[in-house]
Amino acid sequence: MNPITTAPPPTLFTPTPDNWKLAIMIGLIVAVLAMILLPPAVSFWSVGAMAAMVAASFVVNAYRRYYYGGLLVAPAIAVLVVMNIFPLLWSLGLSFFAYQSNQQTIRFVGLANYIKVLADELKAPENWANLTNTAMFVVLTVTTQMIMGFLLALMFAKQFPLRKYLLILVLTPMMLSVVAAGVFFSYYYDPTFGLLSYFIRIFSGQQFILMDNKAGAVAGIVFADAWMWSPFVMLLVLAGLVSVPKYLYEAAAIDRVSGWRQFWSITFPYIRGLLMLALLFRTIEAFKMADLVILLTKGGNGTMTISYHLIRIANEQNKTSEGAAISYVMLFIVIVLTNLYLYIANRRTVEPAHE
Amino acid sequence: MSETASMWEKLGFRKASGVSEAGWGQTLFAGLISLIYFLPVLLIIITSFKLQTEALAIPPKFIPTHLFGLIPDAYVFTPTLENYTSVFSRSMTAGAAAENTGFDRYFFNSIVIASVSVFLALIIGTLAAFGFSRYPLKGNDTYLFVILTTRMLPAIVVIIPVILMFRITGLSGSYLGIIMLYTAFNLPFTIWMMKSFFDELSLDVEDAARLDGSSDVKVFFKICLPQVIAGLAATFVFGLILTWNEFLFALLLTGVDTRTVPVGMSQAVAGGGIGVLWGLLAAIETLFLIPVFFVTFFLQDHLLRGVTFGTVKR
Amino acid sequence: MSTIELKQATKKYGDFVAARDVDLSVKKGEVVCLLGPSGCGKTTTLRMIAGLERITSGEVIIAGQRMNELAPEKRNIAMVFQFYALYPALTVGQNIAMPLHHEKISAAEINSRVDKVAEILHLGPVLKRLPGQISEGEKQRVAVARAIVRDPNCFLFDEPLSRLDVELRHSMRGQIKQVLANLSKATVIVTHDQLEALTMADRIAIMKDGLIEQVGTPHEVFAKPANVFVGSFIGTPQMNLVEAQLQNFSKGKARISFNGQNLEITTNERVGALKSPKITLGIRPRAFATESKASTENIQAKAELIEPMGAETLVHARTQGGNDIRVVVPRQMRVKIGEALHLRPDPSQIHVFGEDAKAVRA
Repeated sequence: MNPITTAPPPTLFTPTPDNWKLAIMIGLIVAVLAMILLPPAVSFWSVGAMAAMVAASFVVNAYRRYYYGGLLVAPAIAVLVVMNIFPLLWSLGLSFFAYQSNQQTIRFVGLANYIKVLADELKAPENWANLTNTAMFVVLTVTTQMIMGFLLALMFAKQFPLRKYLLILVLTPMMLSVVAAGVFFSYYYDPTFGLLSYFIRIFSGQQFILMDNKAGAVAGIVFADAWMWSPFVMLLVLAGLVSVPKYLYEAAAIDRVSGWRQFWSITFPYIRGLLMLALLFRTIEAFKMADLVILLTKGGNGTMTISYHLIRIANEQNKTSEGAAISYVMLFIVIVLTNLYLYIANRRTVEPAHE
Repeated sequence: MSETASMWEKLGFRKASGVSEAGWGQTLFAGLISLIYFLPVLLIIITSFKLQTEALAIPPKFIPTHLFGLIPDAYVFTPTLENYTSVFSRSMTAGAAAENTGFDRYFFNSIVIASVSVFLALIIGTLAAFGFSRYPLKGNDTYLFVILTTRMLPAIVVIIPVILMFRITGLSGSYLGIIMLYTAFNLPFTIWMMKSFFDELSLDVEDAARLDGSSDVKVFFKICLPQVIAGLAATFVFGLILTWNEFLFALLLTGVDTRTVPVGMSQAVAGGGIGVLWGLLAAIETLFLIPVFFVTFFLQDHLLRGVTFGTVKR
Repeated sequence: MSTIELKQATKKYGDFVAARDVDLSVKKGEVVCLLGPSGCGKTTTLRMIAGLERITSGEVIIAGQRMNELAPEKRNIAMVFQFYALYPALTVGQNIAMPLHHEKISAAEINSRVDKVAEILHLGPVLKRLPGQISEGEKQRVAVARAIVRDPNCFLFDEPLSRLDVELRHSMRGQIKQVLANLSKATVIVTHDQLEALTMADRIAIMKDGLIEQVGTPHEVFAKPANVFVGSFIGTPQMNLVEAQLQNFSKGKARISFNGQNLEITTNERVGALKSPKITLGIRPRAFATESKASTENIQAKAELIEPMGAETLVHARTQGGNDIRVVVPRQMRVKIGEALHLRPDPSQIHVFGEDAKAVRA
């Protein structure tokens, strides 16, 4: 069904629906004028309308010239631009201004916010401490999750009676609302009526307060987080484990390959990609960790994370630009981590033959 | 004979797959571990049937029955449904008129917002994934990476401008705003996952269908979509779990009318100054867990297959 | 000692019997092909020998030792899988070395043995590559190399050539045959391709529906098929099977009628002992001589379709009685469509099958 001829592109000043170059020009002019002349709410909608016009002209153009790919991708790109990319750029812009959401003034300050966040004598040490805490949580939770998830996956990698029903039990923690999970862990950890304290008292005869020191508080948070998200790692590893073709194990049996070598030579290459994926997802999520900390310790006992700190600054203290600057420092770290991950994944990945 | 066999298979007893077989011994072992793992959830469910005094009792009361006198009184509680009725309405003092707690509205909101946004993301994302897979653009990988990166960002990075944007446009507190936001939130994962599924399909079948005179639209719906059901199911489950329980956006961007259950739950925890009502909270969470639990259970078989394709191929 | 013996070996999956009472023995240095259509149980039989399937009843004896309960890794066998089962993450060299790690030998020794095998199978240049980066033919040779690198009790091949193109298959057949001849082990090859079986095997076991129908040398199964199935399965073009009535039999001559035509043929004495007059004649397409005149000793037919095959021509003809038969005639004979043919079957090449589909043998 491919077209033999396509319509020629319209010249610059022909007002047709598919003339996207003209649409961009008109859109830009109207947008700039609106921002200068009109009140913010109206100008916002005008800019939005212009963006929609440009998008529409792109779509019509794609349709007339059979760029189906562009046509299919357009809605997704539109949603992402409006809801993700535009806010991102906006907050990047804000990070160069002095702005507080509860005040009307706005003033360009250049890199001052970044300098304040990273090097100010009063603020920077706190930020660095929170970042160190976050790094500690990332390492601890991700390691625990990877190990627990991996062991659980090994347990479910065989077919056995009732497997399906046991698997869903293990998957359930992942489906809990963080709020409920956090609150209930504080219930289990409670020194007076908590289960943990109750069981320890049976042996020690004393009340047990988990959260009164840093080690205990961290352990409590790490355990709750690992418990919730190990099933996710398990699911990914399990998917890798069951995708190994059975005939490879048969060949290994015939070749008298030892269990250890079989794992590293056959199984591991199949799950490596998914392991790395789990590692990436969990690292990013752990980096964002705030809710469990809020619910379990409120950031006390040296458990303050950068993400929680950011919520406080931006939302509770209304320091919008300072928050944006911290956001972008975090974003930078995440991108570095992601690329490091992709670098390692690509360097090691070999294309397995699809038999 | 064959019918009973298939029934047993449906119950998960036997399944032809590349997985090695193990017997009831493995069931016993895995059952024990799974139960221990499930214990915190089980305790939530048990707590949902307890009154506040029993929930705080020491030693903890685990068991709803004496089991013919085998279990000592100290460990036994009397199960009650009171928490479940008071999720939706409760009277603060005896004799006072029952007060609507708003949770019926929160549940309705959660269902509408999560399902609409996950479905929207699935529709838009699947189309885009097909576009990326079949009509690669120049610099395709870069686009995909940018899309993926948006998922990797801490939500907090975008939240400040989104709040400002919603305030200016009046989207704050509306269904449209939060649904749009969640759709965008689910899109990158959907696109990424579905693209890897479409990439795996054999192009020959599609070409054959085209030669037989099927239009591109028909090829997509009749040939491609049926082959990626597992991917759609897995993506749906993941999207649903994440959206269903999402807290931060919901807290900051929903209004009185559009509040979702996690936000309502957090208010129920904080509110009143009388400490957490454990039984009530447990009942809310148990009710809230049921829909995702069953959706996951019924789509479980697709889940494993779906995940395998999500591996980064870049 | 390197022998394989199956005694009454049976494999059941629930109610389905994949292999029933299989008796087979393979001597040292002998190559036996399991041949049959798909789903006949030949692969199941091979996997029973390998220990990849537990046998339901019967015995598997390898090198004089009962192996029923032994795991595959304890049986000291080498196997080439249908899809080669190369370990995708390991290089060709590492793949070949895999079976050697079990034997406690030095890395240098492993390397030299891998190199030696690679030389035999011309794999030297690709040793450092991954299975995904080499051709189908090379993959196949890697699979063979991995099998012959050690000193097993026996070799098992599961459809080893099915994934190769015709030309490659032809040359690999020769190579494998040569390699096997030098190793002098008991070998079992599973195949659905009769040409492969006929050329590579010392003996062929033909299977159908989990049963062995006949075991014999390539010559035997072709010249003396034990039953209708073997007769029609072996040989191309396919043997003509004609249902007929035995009228009478005297002095080595049988009078036979089919669809109204009578025919007198010379055959063996046992035909006279048949209880039922219902018989099936099996005549190979190459066993006809064309005669110029009709007689009681030849079959009257009309050419319907001509398929030149190069050196010979395959003629599909219809007899007076309405049977379709295939005849191969020399290229020089220019048969035209519609032409009347008088076909005289070579008496020594007529196979007579009784009502039970079994061959009547002298």
